[in-house]
Amino acid sequence: MDCLSHADTALPVLYLHRWRAWLPERAGEDMPACIITDEKPAASSVPALLRRRLTPLGRAVCTLLGDMAAHERTTMPVLHASRHGDGHRPLDMLDTLFEGEPISPARFGLSVHNAVLGVYSIAFGNHTSMAALAAAGEEFEALLSEARGYLFDGRDSVMLILTDSPVPDRYRIQTQAPQSPSAMLMELSLAPAPDAVRLEARSVDNSENRGQIVTPPLLADWLMDREYLITRTPPLCWQAMTGMETPHTG
Amino acid sequence: MANTSLTELERDVANMIIEALELEDITADDIEPEAPLFGDGLGLDSIDALELGLALQKRYGIRLDSDAEENREHFASLRQLSALVAERRSD
Repeated sequence: MDCLSHADTALPVLYLHRWRAWLPERAGEDMPACIITDEKPAASSVPALLRRRLTPLGRAVCTLLGDMAAHERTTMPVLHASRHGDGHRPLDMLDTLFEGEPISPARFGLSVHNAVLGVYSIAFGNHTSMAALAAAGEEFEALLSEARGYLFDGRDSVMLILTDSPVPDRYRIQTQAPQSPSAMLMELSLAPAPDAVRLEARSVDNSENRGQIVTPPLLADWLMDREYLITRTPPLCWQAMTGMETPHTG
Repeated sequence: MANTSLTELERDVANMIIEALELEDITADDIEPEAPLFGDGLGLDSIDALELGLALQKRYGIRLDSDAEENREHFASLRQLSALVAERRSD
């Protein structure tokens, strides 16, 4: 079909059907219902014996996924990108090893990058395609690229999860990391819907417009304020528009 | 409600289990001394068995051979595990 080859070169357009976020740093602020701020989300759909091994970040992802997908026998692929995984836990284990102490098998088992999705899959009995990504600060760009792959391959919609996590202080000199963990979930498709938000990209000059690292709070602000979002690779300027607004032309 | 059937050592081992396995909303009194720890009883899994092996080593100085057949008996219940601790502790 011609539309596939055309889509490869065209600027991306995606439709955002639902989004939810966990922004504990904004606890006490006035937030819309799609944003939760509990320091330790309940993850009540996850059996207690599985839940006990999750960090607040893992509990948040399972809470939000439960809200968005629990009532459907979904086959929607789930993609989780995070720069540092569950920040502290794997790095703290390195200290334990350095001190010559044995490490906790349970924590070791959950220090892999796809651990949260694994627990989600077990807890919800969801055996659809899932992948965990890391991309050195371009996690959101990687998620969009991966999502478009699934969508052009024929999937109706894809669930994107972006999380960010603090790292121990001594690593801060080496990398950018937030003070507070956060998570963003977005359900995307190629098909318009009356209540979907149209995400439309246009080119930007890379040399002039170097976007910042896209984090969950940045995405939430973008979706609430409808300002532009700049991504890095490829350098694109994204605009979020509801069905009532006129799509950008030119 | 206090479970008076726990000995002091059993209570100590029960608290070790709760701490090591990060069990939520469970106290020593909630663990039936004769009930299975794994599977149907408390519902622990194979990673918990490894975690308990590590906790026994740290707390009581007991090293278990991870392949030993008798581990299954030692880990059968809180009472069995406490008996192992009483017999082999070197802390």
